[in-house]
Amino acid sequence: MKIKAVDLTKTYRVGPSKITAVNKVNFEVNKVTFTAIVGPSGSGKSTLLNLIGLNDCPTSGKIFIDNTDTSLLSGRKRRKIRLFRIGFVFQTFNLLPTLNALENIELPMSLAGKSQKEQREKAVRLLENVGLGDRLSHRPRELSIGEMQRVAIARALANDPEVIIADEPTGELDSKTAKEIIGLLFDINRKLKTTVIVATHDEKIVEVADMLCTIGDGKLKVEH
Amino acid sequence: MRYTTVIKEMNVLFSGQVMVVSKDAIVIQAIPIGGGMLPQNHTETKIKIIKGVEKAVPILFVTPIGIGEIIQPVPVNFSMGIPVENWQLVLGPTPLKENIGHFPTNESSKEVVVGPSLADQYNWTVGKEIMVKNHRLKIAGILDTKLALLNRCIIMPLKLAQKVYNYPESVNIFMVKPLDEYSQEDLANLINQNITYVKALTEDERNDMIQPVLAQIETWNLGMQTVIFIMSLILVMTVTIMSISERRRDFATLDAIGAPLSYVFRLVILETALIGVLGGILGLTFGSLAALVLSSLYTNIPLAQFFPSIFEIVPPIYMIEIFLSVVVVCCVGGIIPAINATRMRIAEALRAEY
Repeated sequence: MKIKAVDLTKTYRVGPSKITAVNKVNFEVNKVTFTAIVGPSGSGKSTLLNLIGLNDCPTSGKIFIDNTDTSLLSGRKRRKIRLFRIGFVFQTFNLLPTLNALENIELPMSLAGKSQKEQREKAVRLLENVGLGDRLSHRPRELSIGEMQRVAIARALANDPEVIIADEPTGELDSKTAKEIIGLLFDINRKLKTTVIVATHDEKIVEVADMLCTIGDGKLKVEH
Repeated sequence: MRYTTVIKEMNVLFSGQVMVVSKDAIVIQAIPIGGGMLPQNHTETKIKIIKGVEKAVPILFVTPIGIGEIIQPVPVNFSMGIPVENWQLVLGPTPLKENIGHFPTNESSKEVVVGPSLADQYNWTVGKEIMVKNHRLKIAGILDTKLALLNRCIIMPLKLAQKVYNYPESVNIFMVKPLDEYSQEDLANLINQNITYVKALTEDERNDMIQPVLAQIETWNLGMQTVIFIMSLILVMTVTIMSISERRRDFATLDAIGAPLSYVFRLVILETALIGVLGGILGLTFGSLAALVLSSLYTNIPLAQFFPSIFEIVPPIYMIEIFLSVVVVCCVGGIIPAINATRMRIAEALRAEY
């Protein structure tokens, strides 16, 4: 999947003042890479990921996915892209608390119209792949934070996305668990040929990234 | 409920007859409320000489009937004094329970028949003596009936009733049967023209008289239902909006993973419908119990006696209507919150967590 951002700007109104979270950002991912976006808190990392992931609309500028201007797409089509082509991993995992691990992973597949059998088989396989084969029927509150993030990664992979967007996936984790999660994301990138775009503070992620971007005051700079 | 049942039954009992009551009495169907008593012999003679009268039966209808010292906030017990030769004319083919006992045949006897509900409440059996208004009366039989009025009735010979309730030679109703060639209207007109101190009412007139009262009750009920409907709607809406705002992150997550708007909408409506189903079941259970307890409190009839007739107090069709109404109110109340949930801005909802 080819992602291209052109003069991407996002401005928020907070009371009487305006805050420009993302300021004329140009960004391009052409092939399968592991991209890290680093920057201090409030620098606009999450906003940029939300824009790239079509969770939000830019104030100005455009995002092209496979040369299609996404600003011209209907909400329905943007949802379809999110469902079938993009997988999200959040810092706070965002697992649905009433569903168990298996059901959390089955949900995107169910929304994609896959059969019950297919959903169950794939969800079990994904959970086994992330090392949680013995936690299938555990609800999020019964899992450790590392396990929750693994479930979140498995959910992101449910519909075989071309891109995984991870917003500070190791932000809540201890260093050992963070290392495991980084390894998992790296394996996904290399073995499944899935583009991974990660916003992070974590130096270990920076070390393994193919492409490093820094962001500060809404301005993005590609380092390598 | 009981009153409307009793009112309906009164018209069944006196169907096809002209009711003659005191001119100043208020008549609800065939129950005279207030008004003076009628001199029995004088009025009977005057009615009988009117052309078109086949039969005139004097009845003394009394409430409350004062069993022991029990005070009833709502009068539910009735007593009727009917001339023994005309009992079947009023009661129709009502049998006695287990065919034990007999209907009194002697005007001067102290025998009465009682309704089954009264008999159950006070453990009355055939042959037992009871005290009514300081008069010792003997139970000759227990009626086998489901009619609300007869269930709570003590029926005795007219002369005995006049003595017990201290209305010598007086009655408050004449049930007048017209000859075949006379209509109720014709006969009622003739009675009204010939006897100045009475009011003769046909079955239709009795129905017409009650209509404004029933209409008022219906209007009041409708008003109450509307208020409850709107309040419930607002309550369901508020609770659901709060519930959704507490789960903004979950809805934003659903949106982020690409859930269609219709899925989110259906999810919220399904939730509110489930609340409706649970609320409906709990509401019906506790509401019906409350209706029984209140009925028992207001009538002094033991609670246990109401349980077998719960489906008469709250008929199943009402239960179904109430249940469906609750579910519909909850579903309708969920529409605005559901629309709100679909309009949630993912980035904003997720950002709150960062």
